[in-house]
Amino acid sequence: MDVSQYLEIFIDETNEHVQTLSDCIMVLEKEPDNKDTINEVFRAAHSLKGMAGTMGFKRMQRLTHDMENVFQEVRSDKIKVNSAMIDLLFKCLDAIDGYLNNVKASSDEGTEDNEHIIKELNDFIAAANGTVQTEEKPVTPVEEKTENASGDADYLQIELNDSEKDAVKAAEEAGQKVYGITVNIQKDCLLKAARAFLVFKAVEEFGNIIVYRPSSQDIEDEKFDLTFSFYLVTEEEDFDKISHAAGTVSEIESVVGSLVSYADIAGAEKKEEVPVETVSKTEEITKTIQTAPAAPAQAATPAAKKQAAAKPVTGRTVRVDIEKLDALMNQVSELIIAKNSLVSISSSEAGAFQNQTFNEQIEYLERITTNLHESVMKVRMVPIESTVNKFPRMIRDLARKLNKKMELYMTGEETELDRTVVDQIGDPLQHLLRNSADHGLESNEVRIQRGKPEVGSIFLNAYQEGNNVIIKVGDDGNGIDVEAVKNKAIERGTITPEQAESMSQKEIINLLFLPSFSMAKQISDISGRGVGLDVVKSNIEQLGGDVEVQTVLGEGTTFTVRLPLTLAIIQALMVEIRDEKYAIALGSISNIESIPVNEIKYVEAKEVIHLRGNVIPIIRLDKILDIDDGQKDPENLTVVIVKKGDSLAGLVVDNLMGQQEIVIKSLGKYIDNNKIISGATILGDGEVALILDVNTLI
Amino acid sequence: MADLDIMENDSKQYIVVKIGNEQYGIDISYIDTIVRMQKITRVPKAQRHFKGVINLRGEIVPVMSIRLKMKLEDDEFTNTSRIIILKLEEKGMLGVIVDEVKEVVTLSSNEVEKSSGKGSFINGVGKHGEELISLFDINAIVEEKENA
Repeated sequence: MDVSQYLEIFIDETNEHVQTLSDCIMVLEKEPDNKDTINEVFRAAHSLKGMAGTMGFKRMQRLTHDMENVFQEVRSDKIKVNSAMIDLLFKCLDAIDGYLNNVKASSDEGTEDNEHIIKELNDFIAAANGTVQTEEKPVTPVEEKTENASGDADYLQIELNDSEKDAVKAAEEAGQKVYGITVNIQKDCLLKAARAFLVFKAVEEFGNIIVYRPSSQDIEDEKFDLTFSFYLVTEEEDFDKISHAAGTVSEIESVVGSLVSYADIAGAEKKEEVPVETVSKTEEITKTIQTAPAAPAQAATPAAKKQAAAKPVTGRTVRVDIEKLDALMNQVSELIIAKNSLVSISSSEAGAFQNQTFNEQIEYLERITTNLHESVMKVRMVPIESTVNKFPRMIRDLARKLNKKMELYMTGEETELDRTVVDQIGDPLQHLLRNSADHGLESNEVRIQRGKPEVGSIFLNAYQEGNNVIIKVGDDGNGIDVEAVKNKAIERGTITPEQAESMSQKEIINLLFLPSFSMAKQISDISGRGVGLDVVKSNIEQLGGDVEVQTVLGEGTTFTVRLPLTLAIIQALMVEIRDEKYAIALGSISNIESIPVNEIKYVEAKEVIHLRGNVIPIIRLDKILDIDDGQKDPENLTVVIVKKGDSLAGLVVDNLMGQQEIVIKSLGKYIDNNKIISGATILGDGEVALILDVNTLI
Repeated sequence: MADLDIMENDSKQYIVVKIGNEQYGIDISYIDTIVRMQKITRVPKAQRHFKGVINLRGEIVPVMSIRLKMKLEDDEFTNTSRIIILKLEEKGMLGVIVDEVKEVVTLSSNEVEKSSGKGSFINGVGKHGEELISLFDINAIVEEKENA
């Protein structure tokens, strides 16, 4: 069967499942008894196995199968989770990742059998179980299972809970027959859930299904192998009719079944203990049956119907090539430019166009384009989760490697950013986290000496602030030794001792962002080669963001990464300086003030204003932008107060032109302008206005 | 021009422009379009030979003064001034200001005398009838090193 068309879905889903497994295993490491997590792990491993099997990736299937076995043992409380097991499971995940990468590269899983991992897995089960369960030892179990499947009569093994037994009993008492039926589906069937649904539909012609194994929900979600069983309550005497009806559904291998009686069930019950998880798994059904024990099918039928309706759910999300989204975004940008030019015509050309309907329509158009833009932006937004959720695992590995105890705390994983930013922010963040783990945190002994908690904390907090997303990465470790950085810089000839004297602490710390400046005394494979923070900085700047450091010696270091929420269109304040027009992103503006010239004070020969308790430095834009023509200050200065994190600055402008939605365009690769200008935009009249990057001014 | 209708395999077309008293040829394959002089928005802190940026059909295109790049006198914009928009694979579009655009000529390789020199923006001289045309080395113009 040609499965290449499913390859992409397979890759995506495998990724998801591997991530789930990784997350869950992390949880298990901390809470070995968490039943919910164990169940989730089991399900993920099971789905992985099923998917790999469907796609014909035998090696991957085998590995996941053996993983699943381990989880199965954990689930039935035969094995306790311990750290050796966790390590082994992570090895498995890496191996699966390896398969997945092969699949991505060549549509084939490759030839690595990972025998040693499989052996370890099996050893693990064997060691934990002693020799009791040797017959269950699966060597190539999947094949065996599928082969056996054709003749299986699993319904005989069904263990019922009390309410289900009651239902059987009630049916018998009402003079109805109860059949136990097991259906085996053909191996290469791709839509097992749909087949199961058709079978149910066929047999429900005869009566009601009271028991599902696996649960109807799991069947619906295709969480079963090639067989499923159920109990049917019916008036029909002739079982062949039922089995024939079920057997006519295509891709069904066989239908086995027989009459069961309450006495049989009650008897069988004593032979085997009911494992805990079976109960929990069927809880859902139990509830529905309890409410209507005599007519349980009422609950079951809608469930089956839901499954039919559930299929198109996959159709509600659409995978779109990011390039198509970019094209759409460009179109919207053009539309906004066109809209802006209409707006400027309507406001400038008095007379002919000055009638109310026209203005109303213009306003209407403005609203639509703004909404359209927002929608398009939202389409491009994804939570940073997909990038940051690999970090807990990374920190765990680092903790092992560095032999330091540490814990990663993350918040704000749901914070959304533009897709392109999310894709590229992973490496810089990873680098910062590694830095924290390696350089930031002290060794456990030192921490105890210093009276800190033995386990170091590393945190990653993400949140939205205005038009920016802030991601803080930090630790409660040693902090940056500013003196040491200074000495290192002097030693390396980066700065002269004289320069060092006059540098502020912040300036010195910023030296760390210079290329090939490493503070590590030892080069490890984790960090210390000096290709670090400068790359982090340049990566982040490429995304239109910036990065800052706060550090307190002995208490820890925090890196604050600031990223723009959107890349293409922003709300901006248009200002005039002499006859040049500039745009300032509205998100970075705190307020606008009119300041009398005589209120300007001087601190260290720099102009400041005192405003509501804040001392705010004044930046003369005309000087910075080289348009200072010696013009005298008017009586009142128009000052745009901008903020970057906690710092404020006042930009002096000549004239305010108002707020506008602007499309950010790059200045191209030719012009090099010290980053004061972050881009340009085209105004309604076709004129070009430059966008000031406030972050570089403060 | 009529005598050049039959092109040889190794002939190239050039747009002939005037800068000062000299005639220069620009390889036509680099040229996207030629536009009239329009308002150039100054970009503060840019390199001196960049006059600024223009709006070319909704795109922002930087404009360079080739005179300043070649250490000649600053441009004087007249009615004949044009901006030639070059399109380069790697770095995108770039406008260069010329005093006048004259014609399109086809030069075969035997009409071109190669020349090269450090810090030169010319990689050859073409002979077209009585006239001499200095052929621009586009890569040297685009190259961001300031030629001292």
